[in-house]
Amino acid sequence: MLKKWRVKGTVAALAAVIVGVGTLTTPAKAADPVTITIWTFGDVIQRQLVQEYKILHPEVTLQIKKSDLDPLNGSNMVTACTSSTGPDIVAVEVSYSGYWRSYPKCFQDLKQMQTSDANAAAGIPAGQSASDIQKNYLPWRWDQGVAYNGAVIGLPTDVGGLEVAYRTDLFKKAGLPTDRKAVAKLWPTWDAFIATGQKYLAKLTKAQKKNGMGFIDNTGTIYAAIMNQGTAKYYQNDGTETGKLIYDTNPQVKLGWNTTIKATQSGIGTRIGQYTSDWNIGMSKGTFATILAPAWMMDYIKAQAPDTAGKWDIADMPGGGGNQGGTQLTIPSYSKNKQAAYDFLTWYLAPAQELKVFKTYGLFPAASVLYKDPALTGFTDPFFSNAPVGQIYASGVVKLKPIFEGKLERAVDQAIGAGLGRVAAKKMTPDQSWAQVLSDLKKVVNN
Amino acid sequence: MSQLKVKAGPSKAPLSPWKSAKPEKAKKAKPAKVISGVASLNGRWGFLFVAPFFFMFVIFGLAPVIYSVYISFFHWDPLGGSTFTGLRNFNLLLHDSDLWLAIRNTFSIWALSTFPQMIMAIGLASILRNSRLKAKSFWRTILLVPNITSVIAITIVFSQLFGRDFGIVNDILGFFGVHHHIDFIEGVIPSHIAIASMITWRWIGYNTLIFLASMLAIPGELYESASVDGASKRQQFWYVTLPSLKNTITFVLIVGTIGGLQVFAEPQQLAADGGSSKQFLTLTLFLYNQAFVNNKYGYAAAIGIIITFIVLIISLVNFVITRKISSDGSR
Repeated sequence: MLKKWRVKGTVAALAAVIVGVGTLTTPAKAADPVTITIWTFGDVIQRQLVQEYKILHPEVTLQIKKSDLDPLNGSNMVTACTSSTGPDIVAVEVSYSGYWRSYPKCFQDLKQMQTSDANAAAGIPAGQSASDIQKNYLPWRWDQGVAYNGAVIGLPTDVGGLEVAYRTDLFKKAGLPTDRKAVAKLWPTWDAFIATGQKYLAKLTKAQKKNGMGFIDNTGTIYAAIMNQGTAKYYQNDGTETGKLIYDTNPQVKLGWNTTIKATQSGIGTRIGQYTSDWNIGMSKGTFATILAPAWMMDYIKAQAPDTAGKWDIADMPGGGGNQGGTQLTIPSYSKNKQAAYDFLTWYLAPAQELKVFKTYGLFPAASVLYKDPALTGFTDPFFSNAPVGQIYASGVVKLKPIFEGKLERAVDQAIGAGLGRVAAKKMTPDQSWAQVLSDLKKVVNN
Repeated sequence: MSQLKVKAGPSKAPLSPWKSAKPEKAKKAKPAKVISGVASLNGRWGFLFVAPFFFMFVIFGLAPVIYSVYISFFHWDPLGGSTFTGLRNFNLLLHDSDLWLAIRNTFSIWALSTFPQMIMAIGLASILRNSRLKAKSFWRTILLVPNITSVIAITIVFSQLFGRDFGIVNDILGFFGVHHHIDFIEGVIPSHIAIASMITWRWIGYNTLIFLASMLAIPGELYESASVDGASKRQQFWYVTLPSLKNTITFVLIVGTIGGLQVFAEPQQLAADGGSSKQFLTLTLFLYNQAFVNNKYGYAAAIGIIITFIVLIISLVNFVITRKISSDGSR
């Protein structure tokens, strides 16, 4: 029961080989000591829960290795997969899920795994495959962990969500409403958001403008927000493994580009890059009044600008719904402790644990069963003027639709991001910059 | 007394500090024996002792070089397989504007970091050489601290100093009347200056010590005779110190050039893609991004080969200059 591995007829030969290997190195019984190596970044694996698991399973040692996101999901994973040696669990950020869903051979298909009775006491019955727990999670978010051949290669930890974090004190000074419902009514659309920004700018004194004050931290973030509100980004699902690249024809890309340029040229942004020292300082100084904030950013704002507690609030996004970021946990095909790793994953990503992580660290759960749970919807945050953050982010993420992602997702995002940066820095006109984006991407695709 | 000694000095021996700095002949007798003992090992045992190095060199040095020459003829994706494409990578590369941008940036950063640094290092060294300076070892030691600090730490601190809105550098410039906030990331030359300052900060102490060592090796007689001839401190610096440093300057220049072609961590930390207009994309960063971000290993290998050719050209220029300098010295 504990060691049962089922091979479904539809699975590719390669997956069969992987499962075969799995049977050879039969997973250890619960009592045998086992070390699970986890490659992760940022705060995906929370120390408090690791401690908790340690108490549940003294025989399991969780070895956690943190790196920066780009080398981790890029070269480190590529090297690990080509050499078939590496960790038992890897965290894959959604901006890389398009790339990795093209390489199911690097991952264990989690539909083929079954929980053991190790965590039965914690409410996770034995014999659950990924297909059995799928119903707990947000459908479009779940799909980001499904490979092109249907194999489930990752289970979602959190969903970024994206809402507008704004400073009530600065809004008040500028004569704008401060109530979150009234604020959301200011910007049903992105154009209205830009117009609100201009109203805000008009109320600033000359000295404030000279000090670089603006409405939003960086208009470049609008682009990503708009892209996730659509139904397609850079790829079209044409039934092939890789999908068809449509970044140069998709009207959504043009809409995102043009709206962002419009916002940039209207001058509402401070042009401060996110995660720079200028940004951290600006956050506490009130240099900008709004940030498009994923749920996981709330913790960052609290840490960087503790003096602004109670001055923030969170309102709905223009255009309806939003997402930025989120992570899957995967088990690589070369892992030697798949059963123990899977048991840990199913416990760590169970709704009960995701709720704990949200309450303590602000990572919004991908487990959509929680979205109706009063423990989540009733959760308020005093730092953000007691906003019902659970409810706000939940209502935002359910509005989104699944988007087909492909291999070069991240590269296209970066090229367009650089293009928007050139316009913001006034180094190129929008048309020149877009031409440059196209020629840069041509190189990425063809060379 | 001193006059007698000095008179013989400069007239016979040319300005070559190395020769006159050698120990007297009488002392040579004893160490000579030890040397002959070691020399006898040079036969069979010598190979054994150098074998570990060559073993490692072949595995980690030579083999990767040969392998990367091989894969430069392929479209090589570690996960997606590889296809032989002949010279396609090189052809694409020579038509890739990013290559020329990277060459421009690399040399601009190199020039901005090498020359001001050398002038400052010589200046610092001549301060440290001053016999009236107190706590000499303290100053010499403290100069090396930036060199042992992590590059990443330096970059993080410097990128805060160079912040556009709240950076100290812009504050100081504002104090001196430059009220226009300089964007040290987006600007081409400003970003090069920011990166060059990080390199300078890290290496200036090291180069100062090198200059100091060779300044201390300049025989005192030269200065004594110069002062007898009525040369001021400044003239002594220009006509005694600087010519004696010729070899050292060449050495520092060569080491600086090698380092300059390898600039990677600083721009990578500033912005992993080398900036929105690739304004500080250096050659090594370009190579790294093609291999480990875009997964174009063959293309990256081709960049590596182009870098090798650039290094070869520079070495040739270096060789010619060094030879000219040494022949000038022996004239």
